[in-house]
Amino acid sequence: MNLFLQSSIDGLLIGGVLIVLSLGMSLAFGVMRIVDFAVGEWLMLGAFTAFFLNSNLHIDPLLTTPIVFVVFALVGFFLQPLIEHVSSGKRAHANLMGLVLTFGISQVIRGSSLGLFGKDNHSLSSALTDFTWFFGPLVVPGARVVTFACGLLLTLGFLFFLYRTPLGLRVRMVSQDKASASLLGVDSSRINSLVYALHVGLTAVAGVFIGLLFTFSPEIGARYALYTFFVVVLGGMGYLPGAIVAALVLGLVQSYVTAFLDSRYISLASFIILYLVLVISPKGILRRGLV
Amino acid sequence: MNSRLEKSGWLGVSNSSVWLLGAALVVLLVLPLLIPVFWMRIATETLMWAVVALSWNLIGGYTGYLNFGHAAFFGVGAYAVGILMTRVGIPFVLALPLSGVIGGVFAVLLGLPTLRVRGAYFAIATWAFAEAMRQIALLAEGLTGGGEGLRFPALSDNRPFYYAMLGLFVLTLIGLHFFLRRSKYGYWLVAVRENEDVAKAMGIDVFRAKLIVFAISGVIAAMAGGIYGYWITIINPNEVFKILISDNAVVMSLFGGLGTFWGPVVGALIVHVGGRLVWLSWGSDTLYIVVLGAAVVLVALFIPDGILGALERRRSGNAYKQDVNK
Repeated sequence: MNLFLQSSIDGLLIGGVLIVLSLGMSLAFGVMRIVDFAVGEWLMLGAFTAFFLNSNLHIDPLLTTPIVFVVFALVGFFLQPLIEHVSSGKRAHANLMGLVLTFGISQVIRGSSLGLFGKDNHSLSSALTDFTWFFGPLVVPGARVVTFACGLLLTLGFLFFLYRTPLGLRVRMVSQDKASASLLGVDSSRINSLVYALHVGLTAVAGVFIGLLFTFSPEIGARYALYTFFVVVLGGMGYLPGAIVAALVLGLVQSYVTAFLDSRYISLASFIILYLVLVISPKGILRRGLV
Repeated sequence: MNSRLEKSGWLGVSNSSVWLLGAALVVLLVLPLLIPVFWMRIATETLMWAVVALSWNLIGGYTGYLNFGHAAFFGVGAYAVGILMTRVGIPFVLALPLSGVIGGVFAVLLGLPTLRVRGAYFAIATWAFAEAMRQIALLAEGLTGGGEGLRFPALSDNRPFYYAMLGLFVLTLIGLHFFLRRSKYGYWLVAVRENEDVAKAMGIDVFRAKLIVFAISGVIAAMAGGIYGYWITIINPNEVFKILISDNAVVMSLFGGLGTFWGPVVGALIVHVGGRLVWLSWGSDTLYIVVLGAAVVLVALFIPDGILGALERRRSGNAYKQDVNK
């Protein structure tokens, strides 16, 4: 029973970080209709950026998150027009090229990071997470509490932006109907850039959180990309509340598999669940995604 | 649909092409007698990649469903042949077609839920599938040998493998020629890729067409993997299921031209031989990943219809054209 409670808490706390990882991706798919294959590499680069800021400038990893967010949001903002360009209607295989381009970018990032940073594992530690809570037999490490709380704050901020600000309203307009939004004077390519910038920035910040919780190397990109895809598909593509629920589900699944089976089964278990969801309800567990 | 289809000639191939193809086949048949062992190895690999890319292009290029986990079929084929030969004791010539059947069954099982929904789900699911297969192979130690690998009976001569790959290559080309250019499915596929909704309205069973194509793609890739496994004599889940195999298939098809008949062959020749030269000059696998990724980015930006598509465009002097029978 204690093991069950402990792994439930662990799972939910990690789920909070996975929400940050998948919100941007889900929104980007909802608005741009493009799956970003480089998502795992943004995460990995976010963790490494925090690592180098920490080791060279001695900034606490947790406090690097605003810098990491701004830097990667800018990268996303300037990269998005390229994605828009290759998937514009006049070119051959326009519907495939967005996927192809982000796939190519992910390979370039992965290969050059392997060359520059090596294959070694790194980790981040923050003075702000240097505590542990005990509840009877249950142990809750500070890093998990703090990253969960930050994840929750970011999620609330993100939802506030999307549902309570004029700019967020325009994002939702483009997501629902691009043509009508344009007729009403919304610059949809501007909104697309903004959404992609948000996605890359948030993913990189999630990378810093992941770095505080686990070890990381240039090769972790693929694994976290799979987790992100899992969350986005399970929640229903483009449906944000679904992504939040699915992120918590994935956190719990990982935690239970690690506690009761073996952590080597995580990808396998994730795939089996993904497969069953696609068989039973392709629109995601809440049946609200885009098919 | 295509003027060349109506041209007279042998089985829908024009007479000049028959001579050209015949000459190419003769060269490929005598090649092992002319080149040193090192280059024969590269020739065998190039044929293998051509087959893998052709099978990838079948689903990726012709239907627009990008398979980012093609390595799954390659690896399944390698393990199927290995397990059948070493644990069951079936000879290679029987194990190889069986591995194709197994690859096809896996493709159908994977395609049933994923080919009904949009391509993004398919891209994700196939990718996750390859990762899941790698893990199964690592965990099912009793059957696969796990991380230690599975050892085939060794065959010291390289030549049989060259001819096996060549045989599979030629059979694949002939099969695809009949399937794509001489059967109704070829036309179905073009209709599906050009406009899935219109194809449906025309009464084409879009889902069945995609599923059949995906199954064939799985069969061919699995058999390429089967020959490869026997050739290198020891296979490991991290080698035969690695992402780089899927990457290569995608890049080669893209490079040559998505949905073109010869595109994957041209792509395999350029990318593999080019890649080997990069490797020979700098000896770095990491650099290869970067070069491969950069090539994908450049193709997406500048020649989305690949080398063959761009050549065709230059010749006909007009904008992008999508045509299945290049």
